[in-house]
Amino acid sequence: MRARRWEALLWLGPSLALIAGVVFYPAVALVRASLGRYSITGVFQGFVGADNYARLLEQPALPAVLVNTAVWVAAVVSVTVIVSLGLAQLLNESFPGRGLVRAALIVPWAASLIMTSKLFVWIYDYYFGALNHLLTSLRLIVRPVDWLGDDATVMGAMIAVGIFVSLPFTTYVVLAGLAGIPDEVYEAARVDGASRWTTYRLVTLPLLKPALLVAVVLNVIYVFNSFPIVWTLNDRNPGFGHDTMITYMYKIAFKSALRDVGLAAALGVVNVALILVAVVVYLKTVRWEEAGA
Amino acid sequence: MMRLLAVVAAITALAVACQRGSGPTLTVVIADYSKDHTRPFWQALAEQYGTQGGGKVDLRIIDWNSIDQQVSTMIQNNQPPDVLNLNSFSSYARDGLLYPADEVLSPATKDDFLESFARGGQYQGKLYGLPILSSARAFFYNRELFAKAGLAAPPGTWDEFVQAARKLQALGGGAIGYALPLGPEEAQAEWSIWMWNGGGDWKAGETWAIDSESNVRTLTFLADLANRHKVTQVNPGKTNRTDGAFQLFKDGKVGMVIGFSPLARQLDAEGKVKYGVAEMPTRLAKSVTLGVEDYLMAFKKKDNREAVKKFLDLYYQPDNITRWITAEGFLPVTKSGLERMRADARLKPYLDALPNARLAPTTDPAWDRVKLDVQQNIGLAVQPGGNPKQVLDQLQRNAVAAAAR
Repeated sequence: MRARRWEALLWLGPSLALIAGVVFYPAVALVRASLGRYSITGVFQGFVGADNYARLLEQPALPAVLVNTAVWVAAVVSVTVIVSLGLAQLLNESFPGRGLVRAALIVPWAASLIMTSKLFVWIYDYYFGALNHLLTSLRLIVRPVDWLGDDATVMGAMIAVGIFVSLPFTTYVVLAGLAGIPDEVYEAARVDGASRWTTYRLVTLPLLKPALLVAVVLNVIYVFNSFPIVWTLNDRNPGFGHDTMITYMYKIAFKSALRDVGLAAALGVVNVALILVAVVVYLKTVRWEEAGA
Repeated sequence: MMRLLAVVAAITALAVACQRGSGPTLTVVIADYSKDHTRPFWQALAEQYGTQGGGKVDLRIIDWNSIDQQVSTMIQNNQPPDVLNLNSFSSYARDGLLYPADEVLSPATKDDFLESFARGGQYQGKLYGLPILSSARAFFYNRELFAKAGLAAPPGTWDEFVQAARKLQALGGGAIGYALPLGPEEAQAEWSIWMWNGGGDWKAGETWAIDSESNVRTLTFLADLANRHKVTQVNPGKTNRTDGAFQLFKDGKVGMVIGFSPLARQLDAEGKVKYGVAEMPTRLAKSVTLGVEDYLMAFKKKDNREAVKKFLDLYYQPDNITRWITAEGFLPVTKSGLERMRADARLKPYLDALPNARLAPTTDPAWDRVKLDVQQNIGLAVQPGGNPKQVLDQLQRNAVAAAAR
């Protein structure tokens, strides 16, 4: 019996080591760093307790960054899910070339986020960008817009890219959900004389709930943690006016006058806590347990 | 199982064999100046070091965007590099991480440094930041646009500059008078040049003087270029240098921009824009430009001094350092290098500017924070409704606080 237990541990060993190394150790290191003071070069100068957390609350940029983050996550995730519902429905129908369209949808997902973001920087460019060229030729706007420099448009421009790169994954999750709905329930709905819209509302959507839950929870986490899009599209803008918690954390650590690894680590811990709370609250409100039933 | 053990043993033996050679393995971290030249040069240097009886070199070429982060992580983990190339050094000297130059350079190498660059690498009277290369900014103008606007010569004073910018902007067809990059990438450089030519400075003696009257006047002048005269590109406070101002100049849209020798190399290679290089317009009797010095630092680690010294002396051999600086399009930091590079006529305007170039206060550890603060915030002053005085006052307060840390 004892030998068997050892054997099990041997098999589990690699995954346990992986979890310890990739999840547990960084988490401990992050909390540890958040309790310390570091010089600008990165030299550890001793523990300071909760001092970094107290200083974090005093940062004048924090409220604006929190609002930016909420807008960024809510807008990207909600629009992504709604559009994905439509896209998945479309791709679930059979039409000529469906395989090709499905494959094409994966492309923004497969491309590196940095490359995609750089591409959009050029698309949005005031002088050389394709978007201004298109919109002025169509006479939708009179003069070019500085999409990434104008305070009124930069968040919207980033959100559009966020949606663009989140659609593939979400659409595929919904598509998988659709594939899992048996034909019989649609037949039954048809026999009962339900209209298309009623069928969608009362049959399809409720049965998609598990898939949607997965899509929303994973997207909230991905989008909250998304660094490359906001970093790349916002890199020309001074200050912290359009940062999310993730890029703000990076700037605190390396790119602002603060240059403070301890303070940034404290923000990192707060970020993890925030995302956990957000997910738990979401799952509570949609009642995760019932969803499976 | 036995076979596996044999393989492991063989690999270990191989690894040990590779480690052999005299001295410890040196970790050398170099910033990526260009894709074409940086890695090939340092790779070759590491091999040369090896063949001359040095040990192994773990060479890491890191791009400028992430080098601060990666070096900070190395130090946090108690694994600092042996040799580091960066644009700042004094914070590392203050934290006691570095060898002073006397301990890692032969006297001949140390005496070869140009005076001003040796001074720019001192912390508390000792040389820690070894100059690796330098650059000097110069004023670039588009000859074709100047001819079209009927401008015979580049402007010498700020009044002439505004007149020229207006005429260029008035050409229409997307012409821009002056490309002003005050976005976060390199705003401190653009600001330094304007500030000095407006009669101001970063510090007055030992104290910070960012909020001086003269500086407020200069920043107001720049804000006026954008918002009153409207002779700059859109949103100059949110334009970076490389993909913003330089890109526009390379595209022939811009009349004037502050550039440096690598920009000239790109312009020559593309052959699209006919440009001239001149002295910066100024309010002073004599135009001032910005010299930028990057550094090599030697980190104090157990038993690495001899190996580091050997490696550094190899880099500073005139053949090596000049070959690299020439390839990258930068300027020399040594007397012997200056002599060799004088032969290149294209470098003349920059080499002439070098003796008059001023350096940012890199010898002050507070500068490492002030620089980032300026990069992040000075752009706000030239946005519509921006307040130059308020921005400078805040920068001054932060600088004083940083000096007290």
